[in-house]
Amino acid sequence: MAVDRRKVAVFGAAFVLRLLLICLFPSLPDLLTGRVEVSTPVNSFKRLQEGLYLYTRDVSPYDGGVFHQAPLLLPLFSLLPDVTTNPVPTAIFYFLVDLLNAHALATISASGQSVQSRLHSAMRKHIRWDGTSVAAWFLFNPFTIATCLARSTSVLTTSGILFAVSSAVSGNSLNAMLALGFASYLSLYPALLFVPLALLCYDQRSQNSAQAPNTALFILQHGAILSGGIAGLLGLSVLITGNFWEFMTATYGFHLLVPDLTPNVGLWWYFFIEMFDSFREFFLGVFWLHLASYVGGLTARLRRQPLFIITSLLGVFAVFKPYPSISDASLFFALLPLYRHLFPLMRYTFFAISALLYSSLLGPAFYHLWIYAGSGNANFFYAITLVWSLGLSILLADVIFAALRDEWEQDHPERKGEEVKQV
Amino acid sequence: MTVSSLFSLLLALAVTLWSSPVSASSDYHEQLFLQPLPQSSLLASFNFRGNTSQQSFDNQHFQYIPRALGQILQHAHTKELHLRFSTGRWDAESWGPRPWNGSKEGGTGVELWAWIDAVDDEEAFAKWITLTQSLSGLFCASLNFVDSTRTTRPVVSFDPTGDHSNVDGLHLLHGTLPGEVVCTENLTPFLKLLPCKGKAGISSLFDGHKLFDAAWQSMSVDLRPICPSDGDCIVQIEQTVDMVLDIERSKRSRSNPIPRPVPNDQLLCDTSKPYNSHDTCYPLEKASGNAWSLQEVFGRTLNGACPLAQSDDSSEQSVCLRVPHERQVFHSEGAVEHKNEDGFTRCFSLSSSQPFDLSIPEQAVQTEVPLEEPVLHAERTIVGHGQERGGMRIIFVNPSKTAGVDFILFESLPWFLRPYIHTLQATITGADGVPREVPASELVTGTFYRPAIDRERGTQLELALSVPAASTVTLTYDFEKAILRYTEYPPDANRGFNVAPAVIRILNSPDSAPIYIRSTSLLLQLPTPDFSMPYNVIILTSTVIALAFGTVFNILVRRVVSVDEAAALGAQSLKGRILGKLVAIRDRLKRKETKVE
Repeated sequence: MAVDRRKVAVFGAAFVLRLLLICLFPSLPDLLTGRVEVSTPVNSFKRLQEGLYLYTRDVSPYDGGVFHQAPLLLPLFSLLPDVTTNPVPTAIFYFLVDLLNAHALATISASGQSVQSRLHSAMRKHIRWDGTSVAAWFLFNPFTIATCLARSTSVLTTSGILFAVSSAVSGNSLNAMLALGFASYLSLYPALLFVPLALLCYDQRSQNSAQAPNTALFILQHGAILSGGIAGLLGLSVLITGNFWEFMTATYGFHLLVPDLTPNVGLWWYFFIEMFDSFREFFLGVFWLHLASYVGGLTARLRRQPLFIITSLLGVFAVFKPYPSISDASLFFALLPLYRHLFPLMRYTFFAISALLYSSLLGPAFYHLWIYAGSGNANFFYAITLVWSLGLSILLADVIFAALRDEWEQDHPERKGEEVKQV
Repeated sequence: MTVSSLFSLLLALAVTLWSSPVSASSDYHEQLFLQPLPQSSLLASFNFRGNTSQQSFDNQHFQYIPRALGQILQHAHTKELHLRFSTGRWDAESWGPRPWNGSKEGGTGVELWAWIDAVDDEEAFAKWITLTQSLSGLFCASLNFVDSTRTTRPVVSFDPTGDHSNVDGLHLLHGTLPGEVVCTENLTPFLKLLPCKGKAGISSLFDGHKLFDAAWQSMSVDLRPICPSDGDCIVQIEQTVDMVLDIERSKRSRSNPIPRPVPNDQLLCDTSKPYNSHDTCYPLEKASGNAWSLQEVFGRTLNGACPLAQSDDSSEQSVCLRVPHERQVFHSEGAVEHKNEDGFTRCFSLSSSQPFDLSIPEQAVQTEVPLEEPVLHAERTIVGHGQERGGMRIIFVNPSKTAGVDFILFESLPWFLRPYIHTLQATITGADGVPREVPASELVTGTFYRPAIDRERGTQLELALSVPAASTVTLTYDFEKAILRYTEYPPDANRGFNVAPAVIRILNSPDSAPIYIRSTSLLLQLPTPDFSMPYNVIILTSTVIALAFGTVFNILVRRVVSVDEAAALGAQSLKGRILGKLVAIRDRLKRKETKVE
């Protein structure tokens, strides 16, 4: 009961903190909605409102260049009262989504899947945060708070992913696939998580049942569930919009072809601004292939820890997806404390954290210099996005190294704590 | 030209000459209207109108319609054409309503709209492109840059002015080039379309240096079919040039154009101003008006009447002047003066052989030509700062104390300006001067909105609005500025991008002819990348990606071993063996050295 009380306190405090922020600074949500670090063309709340405005007036929101989010968001958000006159219900909706995400995280943490799975058992199990601490780390992360206050629709993708994982670790593979289908429907890239998530479900299933199911059949089944879920959502979307190709090109085509080069924290926008026209398609292909290539590599090498594959893939997405925002980073940071036992094995934490802090503090300043003050140019902000990406990728590589070393220690328990090298 | 087509041309010519009554409907008129405006300005409004019967137009016998233009229109299946070249700003607050009620005026730059006969939108657009390409060559203007992003299809802002038999089959397309600089290279082809080509008649006054030095000028070409209820259809071409010249400025000699300050003793000061003293002065306008003549203002005299202008009616008065009758006007010999009964207008019939000049001396007069109040004042500006987002603010002032104004606001915005229509807000300031925020739906009675698609089409917004009597309405909406690919920026990227003027069509004008007002064009500052470093960006981004990819995959593909294992493994590898050999050689050399000692 004592633990529960702690959880309630954490959740309540997170809720009150958010409520206080919007009450004390009523203009904060709109300010954050306008920040390029938080809102990208595919998750901006302002663009959602424009889409809603057109949708409620029977104009197709996809016959234009502003709205690129999934069609089901439109009827969902049209249920909420008008945000210009009554912003509190929408804000509370987002707070609740955040709390639900934290709850899912707590479930994942409580399952202990990160330290003890079917094929893997970490050496330092005792170094661990409980579910409430992990949830608190997520809820009080400034990146999460900023995303929540900015009412970015990527929090819904985040919940899709977190629910998929929490269902998977609790053995409910059907729900896991449906939740992943929802996340993929919203923002396309979570579909890449299918293989590790299916492996996670497979491990759970074989652990709980007497004999392991047929691998290929299991993957096929779950692929079918996922596609069925996505197809159902797309079918509903057709009912809403009435024009299949129009919304497909405006949403997924927009994710894939990256026509909008509004600055964000990622690497794509400036690269494609400066790219020569004849090479644009080639490099679009290269960038997407690069993003997808991590799935194979990580899955093959870290097969024993499917949850860790998901965590590191989320880190990869936070750096390399076409329209990243700090909400993607906050999701990666939310899953990292599950691997608290790996922290002692990491080598470059100081450097990575310094790079991240440096870029999150200087990023807004340099953006201001470029856009408003006119005393800097685009390279200022571009340089900061490079540092940010570099910091995140160092952190990512370091965690992967730590996980591999942990696996090695599990294989060679007698050599625990020795200096290691890779050859 | 082939023999057969030459033959058919001659045949057509012969037929027309033979049946001269058919061509009775073809005629040509020209008129110049001059009116001094406040602040030492002079409005000169030239109008040239030619008619040809529809039948001979269809038979390629163009008469007063220029062949070059007529053939383009036939080729592009264009039934009605309106082309405008404008520069400068009409100062409605001091000059009153616009000439021709704004219907012969265009937004800054080039504006073109046409009704094209086509089966569907795609075919209409293909013909539209043909039309713009051809007109681009004919008028030496960049009309070929009117692509799909600059083309709109207004729904309620324009109505055909001609009589068309199948209105349903016609497609209206509208294109603007707000950044086009109108200059003499556009005037020369314009003059070539006239029957007298600028050699005689009022068109002989055109001088590029004076015309494009005007405070405001607008050239227009309109072509439309007219079908009177009794009789055959005709095709009418109407060309106008309206300009407002600064008399003082125009009178400066070309060889010494530097303006000089008025000597102190000749300054007329407003002594009612509180700051008026021996060294501060608020200059007043001369009560006696400016002295000017055609020769001084236009730099040349009028070369006699154009002989092609209809002369069967001897009372063709091709030059009209609007000054009070009590004002003295001298004119050259051979011309006949007719004074109108309204007390302000006098017209002159010119002789075709003698040059004509007008001269008005300085003279104090009691009466003044009344200037009407415009029905509506409109002003559009971009608000906000920074290159990320901004807002559009449009202010409408209804000066009338009694009547409200209903009008249509038509905006065509470039795609890189992304408006958020849900942020549309209206503020209304009544006679009490207290601004009051009202929901936009209270003033907007109808909306037609077609959002932009990146690199494909621009935004088209038509709002039906009404402004109550004696009030000011401010409309605002937010927009976001897109950042473009570096090849999409013009060479002067930091100058900004031109946004086409808004067109306002006033509906409740008393005499059913619509009144048009155009706002000034706007300059939009977009965020710019660094143009000098595409290679650097490609290299740096690729480096970061390679670093991440390399690190992660390096970790993934290598085996983890402990350090002592690594040393043992290292001894067996090729590198280890080579290192071992090197050490052995070094050791042997050292031993030799010690032996020598």
